[in-house]
Amino acid sequence: MRRITSIGIVVALCVAAALAVGITSAREPASPLANLTSGKVPLMSAGPLAFGPDGILFVGDSAAAAIVAIDTGDRRAPSSAAKINVQGIDEKIAAPVGVPPDQLLINSMKVNPISKNVYLSASRGRGPDAMPLIVRVDAAGKVSILSLENAKHASVSLVDVPASNPAARQDPRTLTITDMNYVGGNVIVAGLSNEEWSSALRSIPFPFKDAAEGATLQIWHSSHGRFETESPVRTFVPYTISGQQYILAAYTCTPLVKIPVSDLQPGAKVKGVEIADLGAGNQPLDMIPYAKDGHDYILISNSSRGVMKLKADHLEAYPAIDSPTKTNVAGVPYDTMTDLQNVQHLTQLDDSNAVILTGKFTGLAWAPGPPVGPLNLQTIALP
Amino acid sequence: MSKLRLAVIAAILLVGMAATGQASVSIRFEDGTFKVVDWSAPAAPPAKGWASIFAVYAGVGDVPPLAGTYTVEGGSLVFHPNYPIAPGVHYRAVFQPPGGGSPVEKTFDGPHQDKTPFARVERVYPSANVLPSNLLRLYVYFSAPMGRGQASQRIHVLDENGKVLQGAHGLFLPGEELWDPNYQRLTMTFDPGRIKRGLTSNQNIGPPIAEGKSYTLVIDRDWEDARGVPMVDGFRKSFRGGPAERNPPDPKQWQITSPKAGTLEPLMVDFPKPMNYPLLQRMLTVSGVQGGVTGTVSVDHHEAQWRFTPHAPWRAGNYELVVDTAIEDLGGNHIGQPFDIDTFERVTRHITANTISLPFGVR
Repeated sequence: MRRITSIGIVVALCVAAALAVGITSAREPASPLANLTSGKVPLMSAGPLAFGPDGILFVGDSAAAAIVAIDTGDRRAPSSAAKINVQGIDEKIAAPVGVPPDQLLINSMKVNPISKNVYLSASRGRGPDAMPLIVRVDAAGKVSILSLENAKHASVSLVDVPASNPAARQDPRTLTITDMNYVGGNVIVAGLSNEEWSSALRSIPFPFKDAAEGATLQIWHSSHGRFETESPVRTFVPYTISGQQYILAAYTCTPLVKIPVSDLQPGAKVKGVEIADLGAGNQPLDMIPYAKDGHDYILISNSSRGVMKLKADHLEAYPAIDSPTKTNVAGVPYDTMTDLQNVQHLTQLDDSNAVILTGKFTGLAWAPGPPVGPLNLQTIALP
Repeated sequence: MSKLRLAVIAAILLVGMAATGQASVSIRFEDGTFKVVDWSAPAAPPAKGWASIFAVYAGVGDVPPLAGTYTVEGGSLVFHPNYPIAPGVHYRAVFQPPGGGSPVEKTFDGPHQDKTPFARVERVYPSANVLPSNLLRLYVYFSAPMGRGQASQRIHVLDENGKVLQGAHGLFLPGEELWDPNYQRLTMTFDPGRIKRGLTSNQNIGPPIAEGKSYTLVIDRDWEDARGVPMVDGFRKSFRGGPAERNPPDPKQWQITSPKAGTLEPLMVDFPKPMNYPLLQRMLTVSGVQGGVTGTVSVDHHEAQWRFTPHAPWRAGNYELVVDTAIEDLGGNHIGQPFDIDTFERVTRHITANTISLPFGVR
């Protein structure tokens, strides 16, 4: 497979919304915490994580097809710059929940932007009876399992069938939440169905009101401006280019695309721009857009192609294509970070640092599976 | 297995082992809790909390103790783990009498686990031996709940020389494992970057399955079920690449064979090409004058025939086959919309949860 260092494929996207909710129009109340209620958190599984305002943690629950907002109560700024280094984090999480480390699967990792504490979502067990875990790791490396028995929370269903419906368990159809971000008062959720080839990107105003309130944006994705596919978004991050808010989305069919958030209005036809194709047999896992020494970069961890550093200057200048002729050739060169190996999860800590979870991948080099321990959590400077 | 059931089994099976230290004080495991017996616990905990004198550890080395809560019941200190006792885990309970004295330590094994293999691959869909080069998804049905996180290691595709297809030439999309809620059906997605026309991967490497070539799908016996026990057998399926399937399913070409009134004969729908098996289970329904008709669905002829057997004998009258237009063929094309469309020839909006109805009569 050749290494792609300069690709100028441009993408046209159009958005047709099934429901009418604008992404940028929601108003935030003074304190969203007031909308959370105390009690047992109805979490069936803990997948992608995202932080909202005031230390509120959003947890993607694929098993229940729901998003749960939890008040972490973690709102104290750190006294000094966090520098985390925990060896064997899997053992330190598995022991208090009483399972061997190989029965612990870490699903997602995010940093609380207020406290700089690291949060991990995990599964206790590998089968259908696995229990969800939310774990906090502080700068000193102390591991705490968040109690879900009595916490302030709110949840919203992503499907019409209530999770409490006993028949739902018999329905083999599932929605796997692949990524989630809080952008301008909305939780934007990307998901993959295990049956249909679906492209639903949902935008749900927070505080949650009703499941039906969430807008479903059908995103069309094309490459070379000719063939379009309803392709699911695998991972995405909010990103600001020249003062304009974008989401930078990686599709399951590999290209990396920027989408202006302001254009994600029901019925609008959106022009998006592909900025890189990361190659076959690979999926981007986590992305961090950042600036360093006057340049813009995007750090991307991949399922089977290591960690890449994309040079992302002047993304605003990338034109969208509006004819079948491939004329607008431009591209994003990247370097592969050879010193960052076995990165399972990558997330931003602050403007100049990231946190990585590393561990030896199981499986084969070309088809890596989940890691085997020990897993290590550490702070790195953004390269 | 429910937590309650697990706790009951644990209570029956946990066997206390070698105790050391004070003879009069011991530790017992009862009903999912660890209890210090023959030691009178004060009503209030010590200054550093109950955990400073009594803790239970899972695993070895310098690891935190089990998370849980403490109560004093009938004068005995009781530790309630927050999480159920697990098979295959070694527990070590340590009581340090306040005010001195030798620590009391006792070890317990988690409940016995049946290690007899019983999981196997039951079926794989599509079931045909010739598969379109743009096949989008493959479904593997297991006889028992499986363990997540092993698909990339345990599913392989061999080319006609028996060589494992790997790297950029691997057929499946790496990453997300898509399971049903019971972990008995795995959905594997073929690399859409290679299926979709116009993408770099499609242009450079071609589609995952090449027309005319032979392949073997191999699923390893070593795949562990949800208990951590390997399967009874591995699984192999040979198939050949066929032409790409790029035309959306057209219900006008479907052949409906009506059943006779007063019978339990199946309503039969024959398609000119195989369809997506899981979607056939729920995207075709039957409606009569009095509303929906209940019955059971079966699929035959390598997913090119759908059969519906009613729970009650058919009554004479007019019926409709209600079709969700999201139903897909093997290439991910659905009614009115191919998987990838040429945007400069046509612009089609997504059809959201639309249905069409095909009338038929029962006489």
